[in-house]
Amino acid sequence: MNLSSLMTRGMARLGLPAALSLLSVLVFLPGRNFLESSMVRHMLVQYPLLMLCGALLAGGLSATLADRALVWEAQASNWNAYGMTGLFGTALGLALLMIPRVLDLALVNPWVESIKMTILVASGAAIYLSWRPAGWLVQGFFLGQVLPMMAVAGTLYESSPTRVCNAYLLNDQVLLGQLLVWIAAGTALAWLAALFRSLIRRSTVPAV
Amino acid sequence: MLKTAVASVCMAWAAYASAAWLTHDFQVWTAEGARRLEVALLPVATPAVQVQTPNGSSKPLRRLLADEQTVTIVDFIYTRCQTVCLALGSTYQQMQSSLQSARTTDAAARRVQLLSISFDMQRDDQQAMADYAARLNADAAIWHLVRVPDPSDLARLLADFQVVVVPSSQGDFEHNAALLVVDSRGRLVRIFDYADHQLALDYARYLAAVGSP
Repeated sequence: MNLSSLMTRGMARLGLPAALSLLSVLVFLPGRNFLESSMVRHMLVQYPLLMLCGALLAGGLSATLADRALVWEAQASNWNAYGMTGLFGTALGLALLMIPRVLDLALVNPWVESIKMTILVASGAAIYLSWRPAGWLVQGFFLGQVLPMMAVAGTLYESSPTRVCNAYLLNDQVLLGQLLVWIAAGTALAWLAALFRSLIRRSTVPAV
Repeated sequence: MLKTAVASVCMAWAAYASAAWLTHDFQVWTAEGARRLEVALLPVATPAVQVQTPNGSSKPLRRLLADEQTVTIVDFIYTRCQTVCLALGSTYQQMQSSLQSARTTDAAARRVQLLSISFDMQRDDQQAMADYAARLNADAAIWHLVRVPDPSDLARLLADFQVVVVPSSQGDFEHNAALLVVDSRGRLVRIFDYADHQLALDYARYLAAVGSP
């Protein structure tokens, strides 16, 4: 049994329950309060975990409803050719959620908080459904948009002498800025490494 | 492919509209920027809360701020602060001395007062407030210091004026320190950086001379 079919079976069995239980921890107090009490946890733990929920939800649903999912996927692919809509939407959503005011507003405005969470869950699902159809070119375009944006936001957070969020401490903001730059650089390197690996494999002539 | 393009354009439009709403048409990016812009566009009334002076007497904050004559520059402090409030303290000293000299010639300057409100209910008792006033040579005719004894009053005041206080290490706080100009009707009308204290003072004197903005 290869890794891919193992993942499909795991997703069918665990995807939905895992997504729903993780979501209930993230959405309700005190889990939400704990993650949102620090700027680093808010952006670098809560954001990715909500996206993971979206990916698990999408994976779990498409594996559970495998027979019907094929028809849906065929219809959806018209609206999401090469995963472009999904990845473009994710890039836009992440750009919005990196505006410093969002972090402050999410703490005091329940509407902003729920829209933020919905965007993140939808982005996770969109990446899950769009990453493979996207191929290297669209993936590169997506990362070329998101990663520099992360690095720029990180540099601003790190170098700003004043706090950009009223609800968070300055040293928390500096640490978040540094981590954003490192994560952007790390993700770019990991993707490039995967790209080169694939190119080398493709160009290697099998020995006769 | 056409459907993909349509979906992408719709999302781009939705993202643009959301960003425009969030940033007040791309003018501000932070909550503090938005607070200052919103106050300038729509003044905020002083809430009905009780404050206590260093000599122990209690009075409504509105009576201090909305006497129909005096314009007030308000700041929020805690007296043990060694960073921002220290700068605010010296800013207030400079503004106080400017007002002291301006008052001899300018009637409008006589209708401008300074008010420091402590948000550290637990440690800033009457004595701490009195010591702070003495340490900074606060002139009682110009510069008032008050504390808010009731926790729900304090929460309401901070919420209405959008002052966010975050506890940091060793019992200190970080807060969005600024100079809040309150007109003679007790409405918060403008917020200035404390680096712009001369501007805040000039604006307060202008308001005192002409009335409300």
